[in-house]
Amino acid sequence: MSDNPFPLSRDELLNIYQTMRTIREFEERVHVEFSRGDIPGFVHLYAGEEASATGIMAHLREDDRIASTHRGHGHCIAKGVEVKGMMAEIFGKKSGVCGGKGGSMHIADLDKGMMGANGILGAGAPLVCGAALAAKYRDKGDIAISFVGDGASNQGTFLESLNLASIWNLPAVFVVENNGYAESTSVDWAVACDSYVDRASGFGMPGVTVDGTDFFAVYEAAGEIIRRAREGGGPSLLECKMIRFFGHFEGDMQTYRAEGEVDEIRAKRDCIKSFSKTVTAAGVLSQEDLEACDTDVLSLIEEAVSTAKAAELPTEADLLTDVYVNY
Amino acid sequence: MSKISSTVTIGLVANPFSARDIRRVISNAASLQVSDRANIVMRVLSAISTCGVKRVLMMPENGGISSFLKRDLLRKQQLGDNCFTELEMTKTPINGTVEDTFASTKAMVDSGVKTIVVLGGDGTHRAVAKVCGQVPIAGISTGTNNAFPEYREPTITGLAVGLAATGHIPESVAFTLNKLLCVKINDGERSDIALVDVVVSTERYIGARALWRTENLRELFVTFADPEVIGMSSIAGLLEPVSRNDFGGLHVLLDDPEVAKNLLQVPIAPGLINTVGVQSWQQLKPGIPFTLRQSSGIIALDGERELEFGPEDTVQVTLYEKAFRTVNIGACMRHTGQHRLLVGAPLELLAT
Amino acid sequence: MARTISFKEAINEALDQEMTRDKSVIVMGEDSIGGTGSPGEDDAWGGPMGVTKGLYGKHGNQIMDTPLSESAYIGAAIGAAACGMRPVAELMFVDFMGVCFDQIYNQAAKFKYMFGGKAETPVVIRTMVGAGINAAAQHSQMLTAIFTHIPGLKVVCPSNPYDAKGLLIQSIRDNDPVIFCEHKSLYGVEGEVSEESYVIPFAEANVMRDGGDVTIVAYGMMVGKAMNAAETLAKEGVECDVIDLRTLSPIDMETVLESVENTGRLVVVDEANPRCSIATDVSAHVAQQAFKSLKAQIEMVTAPHTPVPFASTLEDIYIPSNDSVAKAVRKTL
Repeated sequence: MSDNPFPLSRDELLNIYQTMRTIREFEERVHVEFSRGDIPGFVHLYAGEEASATGIMAHLREDDRIASTHRGHGHCIAKGVEVKGMMAEIFGKKSGVCGGKGGSMHIADLDKGMMGANGILGAGAPLVCGAALAAKYRDKGDIAISFVGDGASNQGTFLESLNLASIWNLPAVFVVENNGYAESTSVDWAVACDSYVDRASGFGMPGVTVDGTDFFAVYEAAGEIIRRAREGGGPSLLECKMIRFFGHFEGDMQTYRAEGEVDEIRAKRDCIKSFSKTVTAAGVLSQEDLEACDTDVLSLIEEAVSTAKAAELPTEADLLTDVYVNY
Repeated sequence: MSKISSTVTIGLVANPFSARDIRRVISNAASLQVSDRANIVMRVLSAISTCGVKRVLMMPENGGISSFLKRDLLRKQQLGDNCFTELEMTKTPINGTVEDTFASTKAMVDSGVKTIVVLGGDGTHRAVAKVCGQVPIAGISTGTNNAFPEYREPTITGLAVGLAATGHIPESVAFTLNKLLCVKINDGERSDIALVDVVVSTERYIGARALWRTENLRELFVTFADPEVIGMSSIAGLLEPVSRNDFGGLHVLLDDPEVAKNLLQVPIAPGLINTVGVQSWQQLKPGIPFTLRQSSGIIALDGERELEFGPEDTVQVTLYEKAFRTVNIGACMRHTGQHRLLVGAPLELLAT
Repeated sequence: MARTISFKEAINEALDQEMTRDKSVIVMGEDSIGGTGSPGEDDAWGGPMGVTKGLYGKHGNQIMDTPLSESAYIGAAIGAAACGMRPVAELMFVDFMGVCFDQIYNQAAKFKYMFGGKAETPVVIRTMVGAGINAAAQHSQMLTAIFTHIPGLKVVCPSNPYDAKGLLIQSIRDNDPVIFCEHKSLYGVEGEVSEESYVIPFAEANVMRDGGDVTIVAYGMMVGKAMNAAETLAKEGVECDVIDLRTLSPIDMETVLESVENTGRLVVVDEANPRCSIATDVSAHVAQQAFKSLKAQIEMVTAPHTPVPFASTLEDIYIPSNDSVAKAVRKTL
């Protein structure tokens, strides 16, 4: 009998790996396609941050809601938004998950509880207060999670939302994905109190800091926080300290980073590598299991890209639809 | 002619990330604000400079303490208050991990600091103790359980450290020798230390590190068992108190409360009192390696999950006496009072 | 059964009836109940003008007070709407829209479109508009044009108690985000209102008066001015059509065009400032679509291009009056 020391079954662990690998390969491929000039507009890539989205979303059900930042592909994939639909959306095709009308920055699927990536940073936090309020009225133990970056954590909307969630005791969780940079500005300069946990206690809720590149640390901490929210214990803040591999947006030359910084983090702080090492060392998954998964993921991404490229663009008729339910 | 240079240096390790873990949610653990940590450092600095110490070597970090300090010191300078010691950072990397503490402490030891003041929880103190060698440490509690450092007003810690480091207090009074636990897996293939407690849990992964599920605890080793302290060592403290000065430590066998012989209510975390199942306990004699009874699980050091082990591993725990030095703040201040060291003109450095 | 109640009571009744009919209708705003957390009585205020008084007693946790935090609670109302609730959030004074406008115009207004049709945001934002009580520059604006400009929002501005109730019920049942503008100077005005629940559809302007010589288009408090001017002008032998737009987005241009095609003369009365307003909007559309019918230049009666002044003498000049409307009509003759 295979001895599994983890709080997840073998199949669940394989699923986790697959989710993280899907996010990674999706982003790496979007990076390539964007550089070819095939993707319109702006994209913001989540590569390097997979453990955060996956470790948190592993505890969510379909009725739980999330609202993301501009860097939303990872949250979408971890929440179960369909990969082919996402790729088509990024390419601006009609078969995209938003009909080609939202794009990367507004990618969403309300059926899956994903209330959208947002072009306005910090705007998701009040929306999540609303989703949590609705969940409270439904009374089924559902919760809502707001993802913000270290930069957006300075927005009034975010701070107001911490206050509101506390006084209304909402089943909300606020996740600050601190990758050290708000576009090009360092968090060391921009955040006056230097600690999100301090901000959380300032607004009447507990705050926890966790290594966002360690899947199991994120999983365990998020699990307690989410359980607490579901059971009426109110909101909490979770800071995931992590790193992003790519720039703020595709096209960002990242001259604000130290020389060799990106190479070093790809080598030493890759959350997927450390997850793989941990599960294979424990003998729960084998290298072959993971490699088989890699193959499946790569062919899914390939299919998603070729389908997206071949898909139709929206037409003039689509321009005027869905402004209102009825007008 | 005194060999001592006119610059006595004191080391300072202030951890901005202690007291930030999941215990903020599963218990009523405080999270001392960064601004308060910086204030504590300011208190220590002002006390130290009263004692004539001119140089403090500090661990660099990006958790906010140094930015607050810079702001505060600049403001004090603008107000004309220039009496602070020179504050310098070690030239060691900042990764936001315990590696920073190791590297910085080593650099401090190498540059000849007389003592190291530590702001942090049990984990931070453990990290410093691992590499500080014979340099005495003075602990200030800014962690979650704080079983190791005593609760003290930091200003007093600063005074005691300043007086001890500048030779105004005899070493036999100023410094105490402490016990520590050493864990060795497979004869040293992996090894680590703990200052207060080593706990074996049936949990099998490190995850969020903190330990609170007491039903999974199976063995406990402590260097001292203080009933006035919270955390794992309070299990021992509430069974058979053993002071920091007493010979040996304590070894307790635990079990699932459902099946254990005795049940004990234990303050395992701030505001969290859990039931622990106790089978038996005995004195832990120094120098004798104890092999773990548990065949697989997680070893937590000073309350944090650190080492996984399986049936193929041999794990031994040994208590050592007189393993590292701490500054005895109480003794220093009593000596200071009795000998009126702070009466009269500002202190000069003494030759030793 | 119709009876006479005030504009404010009509709004209260609409909320009350809808909250009874549908538990997903939740009401929130600053002091909407009043007294939350305070030692005195519950339901101390019922909103700054008492519009929501009594709802807490009847509907308990379906109504809630919010902290002074528009971004958060207007955003929360919008988020809750996107998750199946039907919130009615109060933006106390439309002048406060600056602090939460993003949630309204970038989020609520755009969800359905950006998300390819899947999102529905049935939120109503009730807000006080207009001048006339010396509330001065930051509490007296008529900002209907700004919301009207945004695709994805609907904008409603009733002129009388009957319309207020019917349009509010319609707004709550509508599945798009609606900005429901309540003129603060109209709260005390009384009118006939049916007891039972009823709706007034959007994009159905109300022809308040048939005349045939000149078309006067107005909304909100200006409808009263238009009617008064029409009475004065009738004595001079000039009969005016008075059209109450009722909803600014969607707007019933057909009724306006039909009237102008008949009268050939248009005066638009708008309490807002003159640049890029409902007045310029209606005027441009009529000029484009009924050009051949026009017998005279289009006249607009608006506030001046200034903030709202405090002193009564100045505020009285700021707000279009019966006389200034009549004067504008005469200019077209």
